[in-house]
Amino acid sequence: MPFVARHRAILLAYLGMIGLLLLTSLFSPGFLALAHLRSMSVLAAFIGIVALGQTFVILGGGIDLSVPWVLNSSAVLLTLISNGQDGPLGWAMPLILACGGAIGAINGLGIALFGVPPIIMTLAVNVILQGGILVYTGGAPTAGAPPLIQYLAVGRIGEFPVVLIIWAVLAGAASLALSKTAFGRHLYAVGTSPTVAAYSGVPTAQTTVLAYVTCGLTAALAGMLLTGYSGQAYLGMGDPYLFTSIAAVAIGGASVLGGSGHYIGTIAGAFVLTILTGLLPALNLSNGALLIVYGVVILVTVSLASEAFPELGRALRRLAVRRPGRPRNMAEAIKTPAGNREDMP
Amino acid sequence: MDLIQATAVHKRFGGITALNGADFVARSGEVHALLGENGAGKSTFIQILAGAIRADAGSILLKGKPFAPASPSQAQAAGVSAVFQELSLVPDLTVAQNIWFRREPLSALRTVRPKALRQDTQALLDRYHFPRLAADLEVRRLTLAERQVVEIAKALARSPAALILDEATSALAPRETEWLLTLSRDLAQAGMLVVFISHRLAEVRRVADRITVFRNGATVAVHDTREVTDDELIAEMLGRRLDRLYPERVATATQKLALKVRGLSAGHRLAGVDLDLAEGEVLGIAGLQGHGQRELFQSLFGVTRARGRVELWGKAVALRGPRQTLGGEFGLALVPEDRRNQGLLLSKSLRENLTLSVIPRFARFGIIDAAREKALVEEMVQFLRIRASSPEQLAGTLSGGNQQKVIFGKMLLTQSRILLLYDPTRGVDVGTKGEIFQLMRDLAAKGYAILFYSSDLLELVHVADRVAVMRNGRIAAILAGDRVTEHHILRAAMFESAAA
Ligand SMILES: Nc1ncnc2c1ncn2[C@@H]1O[C@H](COP(=O)(O)OP(=O)(O)O)[C@@H](O)[C@H]1O
Ligand SMILES: [Mg+2]
Repeated sequence: MPFVARHRAILLAYLGMIGLLLLTSLFSPGFLALAHLRSMSVLAAFIGIVALGQTFVILGGGIDLSVPWVLNSSAVLLTLISNGQDGPLGWAMPLILACGGAIGAINGLGIALFGVPPIIMTLAVNVILQGGILVYTGGAPTAGAPPLIQYLAVGRIGEFPVVLIIWAVLAGAASLALSKTAFGRHLYAVGTSPTVAAYSGVPTAQTTVLAYVTCGLTAALAGMLLTGYSGQAYLGMGDPYLFTSIAAVAIGGASVLGGSGHYIGTIAGAFVLTILTGLLPALNLSNGALLIVYGVVILVTVSLASEAFPELGRALRRLAVRRPGRPRNMAEAIKTPAGNREDMP
Repeated sequence: MDLIQATAVHKRFGGITALNGADFVARSGEVHALLGENGAGKSTFIQILAGAIRADAGSILLKGKPFAPASPSQAQAAGVSAVFQELSLVPDLTVAQNIWFRREPLSALRTVRPKALRQDTQALLDRYHFPRLAADLEVRRLTLAERQVVEIAKALARSPAALILDEATSALAPRETEWLLTLSRDLAQAGMLVVFISHRLAEVRRVADRITVFRNGATVAVHDTREVTDDELIAEMLGRRLDRLYPERVATATQKLALKVRGLSAGHRLAGVDLDLAEGEVLGIAGLQGHGQRELFQSLFGVTRARGRVELWGKAVALRGPRQTLGGEFGLALVPEDRRNQGLLLSKSLRENLTLSVIPRFARFGIIDAAREKALVEEMVQFLRIRASSPEQLAGTLSGGNQQKVIFGKMLLTQSRILLLYDPTRGVDVGTKGEIFQLMRDLAAKGYAILFYSSDLLELVHVADRVAVMRNGRIAAILAGDRVTEHHILRAAMFESAAA
C-alpha cells in the first residue's frame, strides 16, 4: 500500500526539510559540509529521541508535558550515581531507564485508569520531579559525565556519530512498532476514537500506558545522552525539549488530536527544528529576541505542516468573518480525524 | 415553477464515481422523496445542493437561476438548508446554542443575549410542535434521536425555502418519526420544498408527493407517489426484482443453551432481566423506546456495569467489558447502535477496521503478517459483498450499508458465536437488509446464537424465532410460534395485563 499517499503530511515534512537545507546553504556556504551536517544530525538525534516517545503519546490522543524533568532527573541521577566513573553504569543505566519508564507508567495509569486529563497529569508529574530534584541537589550542579556516556553522545565509529546509530536503531524499532505490530494498530485506534477502540476489544488502558512508558524511557535515555554531550548535568537542561519534542511531532505531520501520523515524519520534524535553530544565530540577534523569533518560526512551521492547519485556518477565518455558517460540513468531518471525535455521553 | 432543477450532475471522489448524470427536479410546496440503495449517491447529491461539496459537472438552477453554493452558509442564504446524515452538532454547547450557532441574538456589545436565545428557541420549538427538548441541556447528554431532532430545529431556524432531510428518520423513534412526517406535510402545505431521503418505503409513501429514484449515481425514474408500487420502486433501486426481503425461517435452535441470563440489572433502566438464548436461535428483543433494550445489550457486552448472573455455554462468567467478552468461541460480539461513534474508525481504512478486534492474531513474533491479513480481509469483503474501491478505502467514505457490513465482518472475525445485533438494519437499504437477514439465518443454521433488537417490528416478526418484549427494564413477555405478530408485540410492550 502506498505509504506516501496515505501520509501526505509526512512527505510534505521531508520536502520542507530538504527545501530548508537548500535555502540555508544559499545563505551560509559550508552549511552542507559534511562536518556541519554531522554535528547538526547529532543535535537532531537528541530531539528525535525525545520526540519518539512523544510521537507515541500524541498518536494515542495524549500529550506528555513531563518530558523536561524526566530528562533532567535522569541526567542528575546519572551523575550522582556514577560520580564521573564508568564502573556503576552497568546497573545505573538500566535503573535510570526503568525509573523513566516507571514515571511514564504513573502518567499512563493516572490518565487511563483514573481519567486525569493528560495535560494536568503530566504537568503535575513534571513539577513534582522538578521540586524533587531541586530539594535533592539543593540547586548545586553535580559531578561530570562518565567517559562511556560521553562516548555514546559525542564519539564516532569511523565517520559515524555513535548517537546517530542509536537513533537509527530506535527509529527502526519505533517505525516497526507503529506499522507492523498490534500495539501500533491499537495505538492509532485509541487515538482516533477511544470509544470505538474499547467497543472493538482493544486494550485501551494498556495501550495508553505503554505509550507513556515509551515516552518516559526515551526521555530518560535522552537525559543520559545529553549529559554525555555537555559533559555534565545541569538544572533546566530538559526545558527546551518540551517544546521541540511536541513541535517535531506536529511538523512531522501528525494530527495533534491523535490517530494519524508516524515517527518517520517526526524524524523530518526533528531535522527541520535543528536547521531552524542553526539558522537563527546567523541573524545576530540578542538571546531574548532569538527566542521570540524561534517561537514564531515554529508556530508558523507547525501551522503549515501539520494537519492542525485546516483547523487553524478555519479559526482565523472565523475571527475574520463573523458569520460564515456551519464550521464543519460532512465532507470535512470525514476528512479530518475530528470526524470521529468523542461526543457520546 | 420548479424550485430546484438539477441536470446531469457528476461527482467523482478519487476513483469512485458517486454521481454519474443525476437529474432532479422539485417544486415548492411538495415533499419530494429521493430513493436509492446505499451508495446510490443520494447524500452526495444533497451535499452538493447544500454547498458542502462542489459538483464536477452538471447544472443546477434554483428558482431558475444558476446555483453553485461554495459553502453551506451560502446555500442557506439562498434558502437551502440540509440535515446531513452525519450529525454536526457541537457536543459541549447547549441545544439552544447549537440551533442558533453563529446566529445568536446579540447585544450592542456583541455578547449573546441568553434570554433572547432561550425565547427564540422556545418560539421555534413551539411553532413546529417539536418533541420535548430542554433548550439548556448540553448536546452531549442527548440521545442519538434527540440530536437528530436538534439538527432539524437548526435547519428550520434558517427559515429555508427548501429543507433537505437525509435519512433523518433512521435515528428517530416511532413517535418522533410520526411528528416529522406530519411536520414535513405541514411545511409543504405552507409552500416549502421538503426533500426527504429514507429507506423506509412506508414512510415515503405517507409523506411524499413525488419520488425520484437514483441508481449508481444516475436518475432512473421519477414518479407520482400514488402511481407506483413498492415492488416497482424496489426493482428500480436495485436494478433487479427482489424475490423476497425476508429469508425462509427454518427452525435451527438446538437444546443447548448459549446464553442464560438471570436477574440482570443496571441502574433504573434494567430491572432484572431473565433470558435464555439457544444455540442456533434468533431471539428478537422488542419494546418501546427506552424500556431497557439498549442497557440489556450494553450490559451483556460489558460496556455498562450490571449485576446479575450470566452463563455463556453453561459457564458462569463475569462480564467485565469487551476485552473479556469479545472473541473466542465462547465470547460475545456486538453490532452497536451507533455505527459512526461506536462501530467504526471513520478515518481509517476498511482493512484496519475489519481486523481491529483480532489484529494480535495476525502477529508472528509480534510482527503482523500483512499478507495473511490482506487475504482474510479480501475473503471477508467477498463473503459479505462489501462494495468498496479497495480494502484501503476509508470507512467514513463507504455508504451506510457497506459500513454496516464492515461492522458485521469485524464481528464475525472475532469468531464469537453469540452475536448481539442492536438495530443492525438502521439506515440500510432494502437490498442490503435482505442480505443481512439471510446472513443471520445462515449463521443461526451454523450454530450461532443471535440476540436481535430492531426498531422495526416487522423485521422481528419475520426473522426471529421468538421475541422477548421488554417493558420497564424487564422481559414482559416471550412470544413464540404464531404469537410472534406485530399485534402481540405491541400489546405486550404497552399493557401490563398482556403479560404472557
Ligand atoms: N468523501 C468520499 N470519498 C470517497 N468516496 C465517497 C465519499 N463520499 C461518498 N463516497 C462514495 O460515493 C458513493 C455514493 O455515496 P453516497 O452519496 O453517500 O450514497 P447514498 O447516500 O446514496 O447512500 C459511495 O460509493 C461512497 O462510497
Ligand atoms: Mg446517504
